[in-house]
Amino acid sequence: MRFAPFIRRARAAAVVAALAAPLCAPVAGCHGDGPVGRSAAVDDFGDTVVVAVRPTRIVSLNPTTTELLYAIGAGGRLVGRTTYDAWPVEVRSVPDLGPGLRPNVEAVIAARPDLVILYASEDNRDAARRLRAAGIRTASYRVDRIADFVRVTTALGRLSGDSAAARATIDSVSATLARVRAATASLPRPSVVWPLWESPLLTVGGGSYLDELLEIAGARNVYRELPQPSPAVSLEDLVRRDPDVILASPRSRARMLADPRWRTVRAVREGRVLTFDTTIVNGPSARIGASAQALARLFHPGAVQ
Amino acid sequence: MRASRWLLLLAALTVVMVVAVMLGTLRLTPVEVLQGILGTGTPIQVAVVRALRLPRVLLAALVGAGLGASGAALQGATRNGLAEPYLLGVSGGAAVGAVLAVALHAPAPVVPLAGFAGALAAVALTLLVARASGGRGDPRVVLMAGVVVGAFANATIMVALSNVDASVVRGALWWMMGSVADAGWPQARLLAVYVAIGIGALLLLGRAIDVLALGEETAAGMGVDVVRVSLAVYVAGALLAAGTVAAAGLVGFVGLLVPHLVRIAGARTHREIIGAASIAGAALVVAADLVARVATPPAELPLGAVTAIIGVPFFLARLRRLA
Repeated sequence: MRFAPFIRRARAAAVVAALAAPLCAPVAGCHGDGPVGRSAAVDDFGDTVVVAVRPTRIVSLNPTTTELLYAIGAGGRLVGRTTYDAWPVEVRSVPDLGPGLRPNVEAVIAARPDLVILYASEDNRDAARRLRAAGIRTASYRVDRIADFVRVTTALGRLSGDSAAARATIDSVSATLARVRAATASLPRPSVVWPLWESPLLTVGGGSYLDELLEIAGARNVYRELPQPSPAVSLEDLVRRDPDVILASPRSRARMLADPRWRTVRAVREGRVLTFDTTIVNGPSARIGASAQALARLFHPGAVQ
Repeated sequence: MRASRWLLLLAALTVVMVVAVMLGTLRLTPVEVLQGILGTGTPIQVAVVRALRLPRVLLAALVGAGLGASGAALQGATRNGLAEPYLLGVSGGAAVGAVLAVALHAPAPVVPLAGFAGALAAVALTLLVARASGGRGDPRVVLMAGVVVGAFANATIMVALSNVDASVVRGALWWMMGSVADAGWPQARLLAVYVAIGIGALLLLGRAIDVLALGEETAAGMGVDVVRVSLAVYVAGALLAAGTVAAAGLVGFVGLLVPHLVRIAGARTHREIIGAASIAGAALVVAADLVARVATPPAELPLGAVTAIIGVPFFLARLRRLA
């Protein structure tokens, strides 16, 4: 059979990729890259994605992967995005295909993509299956942690044929993160609470990449031991944990400072509510380096350039 | 109801409220609670007692009192043991208002106001539908109109939530499950006045509800304007419930359950039932909120779910008596 060797090789490559992925993930300098045209990758649903021709029409239904595609220079080939994409500004001119979860498969197919990137949540399993059945290359990735940034940027680089740019992006971001980490390593760590939603009160937990960014920026998240990315907590518990600093958007900051309930928190009473532009961070995209820098400047003025 | 029963009810409410101020992620002794109130404790104790726990416990008590009284009056006026405060479209309307506010990213303090406005609109709509159907005071027509408005509200919520961000769904759902976690003194003060007026009005209507309970014809024969009295009870009961919704979202089951409990305890006239249901409702919601706060620290459970879980066994006991 003419195709048999190809299939065997594809399987072998898939197995290698699957084995390598967890080892590769936390290490920035590790980039497996098969030759474009005769290779395959495995996505986070465990499905094999052929790395064949360079795609020219890409749909990305996760704002974080959209940002990553722009970062590696593939943004110009996007023909579909989610309603929530806002960065970089050019993305607003890409057609909006609705919210990224449980996408309208017909609308995605109508965009005539040759590569679709989905967020690998159970909500999307069915859409991934149907897009594949329609003959469209579909890859789904979880992008929740900083390790995912490295892993998924590498994978997107291979799929879009921009491996060199992906490697450069990873190296640059990793170098920034390492620099910030080194600059803050020996400094005293302020304890921090970073509320994400007011009612119910949701805050950054240990399961979020934002917790990792706080750590790199030389702070200590007081809710680090909670495994969820955005656990619900009570204000009373927050008072008891008595953080040194609260992080908030400018609007929330003004509200907190005026609210007698929030003023029970010592950090609020004493005015230690630091403002951080929360639009910078909707997922572990290529902007995490800049975010870590900005956070470190808040916690340790003068320590990081 | 015997005086000893009244004393027991009041004592239960007092104990529950004191314990609720003591317990939480930060455990306080009675002395520390007192120091907190007087402002002589540590700053954290004072802050927790004065700014968080006292208004919260008070708000929970007011919500429970309002729901208990409203349920008691509505069950009496409709002569239906399944009647409850959210019946006339209050819950559906409030949910629509709140969900729209959350979906439009309104600031948190606007959400309860939107809920209140939605509740009022739905109650008005229910009574208009009942009137257009020719059954102004007829409890069956009014109940069915409430069901229709509720179904319409549900559909509206589904449409509003079908295409929004996950965080919006979570926020809206949380509001619909009821909570007094955002309680502060301004809300507690406002609700205190509101609930006092509402319960007062229902107590004044108590005698008339007693006569209504004898049946429409008997009541009319005794000189009671059945339509006007029924309407007055519907409006007062629904407004009272709408106020509690604005303060705490939807806290289910209290208004349905508590009137049955106080009737078991021996309350007979509607003044007694409404009065006792206020106290028992307050105690139930304060206790439920305590459970909601301490069960899964540092997170909290939704208050409406806890009231139902606590309430179901009582209701089953009541069913056994009826059967």
